[in-house]
Amino acid sequence: MINLAGRDILYGWGKFVFTGLGLGLLVGLTLSMAGIYRGLVDDGKVLLENVGADLWVVQRDTLGPYAEPSNVRDDAYRTLLGVRGVAEAGNVTYLTMQIRHEGSDVRVMLVGFEPGHPGEPGYLVAGRPITRSHYEAIADVKTGLRLDDRIRIRRHEYTVVGLTRRMVSSGGDPMVFVPLQDAQEVQFLKDNDALVNERARTAANPAFNRPGVPGLLEAVQASQASSRTVNVVMLRLAPNADEIVVAREIRRWKHLEAYTRNDMDEILVAKLIATSAKQIFMFLVILAVVSAAIVAFIIYTMTLNKVREIAVLKLIGARNRTIAGMILQQALGLGAIAFVVGKTAATLWAPIFPKYVLLLPGDAVLGAVLVLVICAFASIVAIRAALRVDPATAIGG
Amino acid sequence: MVHPAIEISGLTKRYGVGDAAVDALKGVDMIVRPGEVVGLIGPSGSGKSTLLKCLGAVIEPTSGRMSLAGETIYDNGWKVADLRALRRDRIGFVFQAPYLIPFLDVTDNVALLPMLAGMSNGKARDRARQMLAALDVGHRAQAQVPQLSGGEQQRVAIARALVNQPPIILADEPTAPLDSERALTVIRILNEMAQRFGTAIIVVTHDEKIIPTFRRIYHIRDGRTYEQAGEARAA
Repeated sequence: MINLAGRDILYGWGKFVFTGLGLGLLVGLTLSMAGIYRGLVDDGKVLLENVGADLWVVQRDTLGPYAEPSNVRDDAYRTLLGVRGVAEAGNVTYLTMQIRHEGSDVRVMLVGFEPGHPGEPGYLVAGRPITRSHYEAIADVKTGLRLDDRIRIRRHEYTVVGLTRRMVSSGGDPMVFVPLQDAQEVQFLKDNDALVNERARTAANPAFNRPGVPGLLEAVQASQASSRTVNVVMLRLAPNADEIVVAREIRRWKHLEAYTRNDMDEILVAKLIATSAKQIFMFLVILAVVSAAIVAFIIYTMTLNKVREIAVLKLIGARNRTIAGMILQQALGLGAIAFVVGKTAATLWAPIFPKYVLLLPGDAVLGAVLVLVICAFASIVAIRAALRVDPATAIGG
Repeated sequence: MVHPAIEISGLTKRYGVGDAAVDALKGVDMIVRPGEVVGLIGPSGSGKSTLLKCLGAVIEPTSGRMSLAGETIYDNGWKVADLRALRRDRIGFVFQAPYLIPFLDVTDNVALLPMLAGMSNGKARDRARQMLAALDVGHRAQAQVPQLSGGEQQRVAIARALVNQPPIILADEPTAPLDSERALTVIRILNEMAQRFGTAIIVVTHDEKIIPTFRRIYHIRDGRTYEQAGEARAA
């Protein structure tokens, strides 16, 4: 038996290809939305993987450094090292800020870390690790920074000595790593005018400037100008240590919150990007509905344009399933063209997106199945219309 | 004994019910023998198309009797279970316009019928090519429909109607879009095919050019048929 759908597609290939192209861009958009969601999740997972920590210790009753502000004294790591099962500890600070680079502002997450301890970037794609105590930086390639670039952060200039990749915040901002003390200064140290004003206010406070207590005012002023807090202490555990047990010990005895890798996964995926995920899901649903409506309309219109041919086919003895099969195959053909165009488009434009777009093969397969299912459903209206065509309409009168 | 190809007696068709009922056919009688080409003429609204649709098993008559080649297909109800197969295997249709399938080439337009009947693609195409050759359009077998002239398209449509070698062909104003010369050619072809394959052909027409070519004519007026010897026969 002749493949009527295939012949019709070949006969009107231009119409099919252009329709498929338009629909394909819609499919590409849908795949990209799915890719953006996957990218969000993957960014979070990569961030957790690359810092090389087993436990994240943060201020009590907070959700950790990526989801909520957290302040922990920077000497807390010493007591944490005394907890059984803890092998290494590293103080880390996080601060989202803008830096100027080549005349434009780049939004980055500034990370302060202690070289050789948990919290340092997992790997470099160029350059070397930080070896000096101050004014060296490692930047994610997405910042656009290159090796030996000099960047100004607050009062000081930093030299980019290393580049890393896929180190971005949960908001998608690329990271710039600097030594911890520099990051603490950036995060907590006030500017000169603010310091002068603060000193004057403190000096005017009789409680800090009491006669008979020499050195009190200077001590208070010194404490105001120093920064002794970090956002998180990252711990690496001994090989046989149970992270859940260690986390429980820290919560009980150190009055801090401790999160395991699974807890952080949960916070990042289920809490931090949940709203974005719902937003994207809504877009996906709307796009699927719009795609289905467009396919249904196109197939319905194409079917109505063939009413006479369908009437003749029915009159000369074509079965309903032959006609329904022709329409269904055309809808699936359109879906196949749209998927190929959409997948190609999504792959081509993914690198242009400012955030990471992760196109998983599994999602592509699921997308293909969904497109074909949508097309099959969308063809139902046209099939019903075709089956209602009266063969008598082929005969005049 | 050779049965008539078409035998109709007391055929009626009523559209609607109650006060809105319209009797399109009020007791049609007709006999067409194998190899005969019969004209069916009448004014608009006289019931020509209704009769054609009843004969083509496209609509169901209200009462009466119809038989094809000696087999009763309707006797106050259909006597054939599969009307689609009846149309496919035993009735050929030629329409006012050729109504060829534009996305199939000439051969496949004709071969489609035997394929629908279950014949293999190769055999169906062979048969289609033979039929196209018989109708002098064999050289256009590979052409696409839009490349054909109006006359060629009508020949292909006739080939399609004949390819399953049905005992009857129903032609609904097959010469309407054609000029006189081509119209007469189509009628000549129908006559030749009727003689060659023993097919009974009913031609519904308004076309005065071709009316004289029929040996027998049925006039239909107000849902009733009146037989008249054609001019060709009288001559």
